[in-house]
Amino acid sequence: MPENYDNGTEVEVRDLNLWYGENHALHDISIDIPKNSVTALIGPSGCGKSTFLRCLNRMNDLVKNCRIEGKVHIDKQNIYSKDVDVVDLRKRVGMVFQKPNPFPMSIHDNIAYGPRIHGTGKKNIRGVVEEALRSGALWDEVSERLDKSALDLSGGQQQRLCIARTLAVRPEVILFDEPCSALDPISTSKIEELILELKKKYTIVIVTHNMQQAARISDYTGFFLTGELVEFDKTEQIFESPREKATEDYITGRFG
Amino acid sequence: MFSNAKLNEKIAFTLLKIATGMVVAFVMVILYYIISNGYSVINLEFITSMPRNRMTEGGIFPAIMGTAYLIVGSMAVALPLGILSAIYLNEYAQSGRTTWAIEMAISNLAGTPSVVFGLFGLALFVKYLGFGPSLISASLTLALLILPVIIRASQEALLTVPKEYREASLALGVTKWETIRRVVLPAAIPGMITGAILSIGRVAGETAPILLTGAAYFLPRMPDSIYSQFMALPYHLYVLATSGTNIAQTRPLQYGTALVLLIIVLCVNIVAVSIRSHYRNKIKR
Repeated sequence: MPENYDNGTEVEVRDLNLWYGENHALHDISIDIPKNSVTALIGPSGCGKSTFLRCLNRMNDLVKNCRIEGKVHIDKQNIYSKDVDVVDLRKRVGMVFQKPNPFPMSIHDNIAYGPRIHGTGKKNIRGVVEEALRSGALWDEVSERLDKSALDLSGGQQQRLCIARTLAVRPEVILFDEPCSALDPISTSKIEELILELKKKYTIVIVTHNMQQAARISDYTGFFLTGELVEFDKTEQIFESPREKATEDYITGRFG
Repeated sequence: MFSNAKLNEKIAFTLLKIATGMVVAFVMVILYYIISNGYSVINLEFITSMPRNRMTEGGIFPAIMGTAYLIVGSMAVALPLGILSAIYLNEYAQSGRTTWAIEMAISNLAGTPSVVFGLFGLALFVKYLGFGPSLISASLTLALLILPVIIRASQEALLTVPKEYREASLALGVTKWETIRRVVLPAAIPGMITGAILSIGRVAGETAPILLTGAAYFLPRMPDSIYSQFMALPYHLYVLATSGTNIAQTRPLQYGTALVLLIIVLCVNIVAVSIRSHYRNKIKR
């Protein structure tokens, strides 16, 4: 595992175990996720990579009978300690889902939703919305129709809207859960460009099924298999000379 | 030559058509019968004046207003109570024995005969709480009667809100309550209104519960407070048709009353449906 990152460590996970009822889904995961970089998590379906991602903003809290042990430090704070406010944590750790999930509201209201609830006043909201949409690379396409329903946008635009909606809350970390799996290649490449742009300001963790995508956009890659983190290293290292046989078998397409 | 499958399809299709046709036919016959017998007595005087001459002449204004008060009164109680309980049961209650017991109670309540609600209202509101036979007793009794319908419809409506909306909102660092208030409820409201539509029809039409809790046989004036007795359309109709002073002579008045009752329910439904489609459009486009 790489020891020291140029930009420092954002997320530090130690001996994380997770059970869904009796099912032991994650085994002793330890990983350091670097600041202002893109970290990709790859692995076959059911390997636990999405489950792991959902530990980082405690979305697994919503799952019944889910039990978690171990430590997850984000910015030096253990997010599973008792005094942590989950709502506040999720402001700092945003999430973009597999299927674009805009609210059934106007484009403007989708972006304004988070900031409004978190206390941004009427006067400033317009500016926040524009800034978020610009950062989400969507402003030029929607600036003329902010009051139209977000559901009329194309799938790729909806996903960028969801990214902008997350940005509007000003998180430090953004988790992407297979954000392009429902999108066409052109929309996918737009999102990939956007992610590369976003890593200048944010720490990005992306779960992906698409190995080319991991190779294209990530600085570090972790390979998950049956609930274990098999290997985690610089992306070139993983794709050019993986240490583990299982990693090599997976990236060369022998299974998955 | 038909194959067996095709023949079966044709038979099934025909049966379904006949069944649907019969339902429509019954509704049409009832409507035709009431309209053709009732329309001649309906005029401005009929709907705006008091009954006169031992209810053999004049209008049904107090009964119309009584029914309107009942709708407003029972809805004002049952709608918020029902929606809030549905939110609690669906969004907050842990599934366990208590929740199971509550769900069972609601199901049983929905199947309880309305006369039992009437007796309960008589015992609790009229006697024990001392409201007497009055608008408030009857409204509260009707509210209890429709509560299960509203709770069930609201629960169904909440279930149809996609999980993705909730996740998206929670992931933005929004609390559960704000998520429910700003995302889940707006998406669920059209379905909740459907539940309310069904129950307005029941409030306007139920006779047994109000008979026991405050409807007056004859009262040629408006209720002056929520503690007054009142006239209501279904009970007025029952009185005219069974125990009036001159049943044969008031036959047209009976049909007229029935027609007014139908029209009120229809109007309320139209209003409710348009509210619903307004919300749907607002959400969709």
